[in-house]
Parts: sequence; C-alpha cells; structure tokens
Amino acid sequence: MEDIIICRCEEITQREIEAAIEDGARTFNEVKRFTRCGMGLCQGRTCRVRIEKLIARKTKKPPRQGNYRQPVRPVNLGIEGDILNE
Amino acid sequence: MNRIKEHPILGKTEDKKEVTIWVDGKALKAYEGEMIAATLLANGIKVFRYTKKRKEPRGIFCAIGRCTDCVMVVDGIPNVRTCITPVREGMKIETQKGLGSWERSENDE
Repeated sequence: MEDIIICRCEEITQREIEAAIEDGARTFNEVKRFTRCGMGLCQGRTCRVRIEKLIARKTKKPPRQGNYRQPVRPVNLGIEGDILNE
Repeated sequence: MNRIKEHPILGKTEDKKEVTIWVDGKALKAYEGEMIAATLLANGIKVFRYTKKRKEPRGIFCAIGRCTDCVMVVDGIPNVRTCITPVREGMKIETQKGLGSWERSENDE
C-alpha cells in the first residue's frame, strides 16, 4: 500500500512522502523540497491534492492548499517569444 | 484497427482525411485532426514511454493534457504530450526513455 506512487512524474511513493512528513515537513512546499514530488513535468497537477491530503491525514489538521504558480498550463517558451514579438 | 466509427459530436471517422505517421520506424495510418495518442491506441500501442527511475512503462493516464504521462519524442522534440497533439503527415514519433533528449543519442536515459 505504501509503495503506491503518488507523484507520477518524479516517481515518489506514499512511503517517501510519509517519511518526509515524519521528518518535519508540514506543508506541500516543504514535502516538495524534501522529496522532489511535484517538481516533475506536470508541476504537481496530478499529485498536489493527494499530498495535501496525506499531510492532513498524518498531522491530523485540515488540508492546506499548496503553492500555485503560473503558468497554469504548460506552454513552450517559443509561444512566449511570439507574444513578445507581436 | 480499433476505433469509434461514428461519434455523436465528432462525426463519422470515414469523413476524415488519412495521413501517415511513423512510430518507432513503423508507418501507421492516422486520421487528420485526431491526437497522436488516439492513433497509437487504435493500433494497439499502449506503452508510450519508460520512466527515468524505475524504467516502468507508461501510457495514457489523464488524456486531457494535465498529467504528462503520455509524453513521447515527436519530430525530435522530447516531452510532447501526445494526448493533446494532433497528428501531421509524416510525423516521426519515438518511445521516450526517461526524460528524453533533444538529439537522438546513446545517452537517452
């Protein structure tokens, strides 16, 4: 059960995330810095909510929303260049 | 071939123009306007990439362009989300190993 992958991009398991919480991580941002979860290609789009729930379950506190950064959708840098050139 | 022949919103498949795409060196028949992932699934290809750490196979997971599990090397560009990238005539698609690389080389992983 604990070997279930939570962060699919960086292949971080539930066990690793729970270990990080036991080591003192209390927010999504801290778990991210401990384990690299949410730092892969999809930038936490798949795992953020699940990690927030894991933290809430482990610390027995209501879930807190992690950091959201732009861009909301992944875009190529070339697209940004096109906007600047217009 | 395994496709939806008639869709209430998207119309009939036969109405669409046929194009050829190359997947790992093999020619596949695709319909213009459909996504790369649709062509692959219709041809029974379920493994799109292998992960970096555990070398496990991955394919379609969310199919709406969020999870990046279906990324492949498309025309030499790695990490292209095949579920939201339409096919083009002569497109070259390769199974991605790990994070992929910009040039085809031995150190792909």
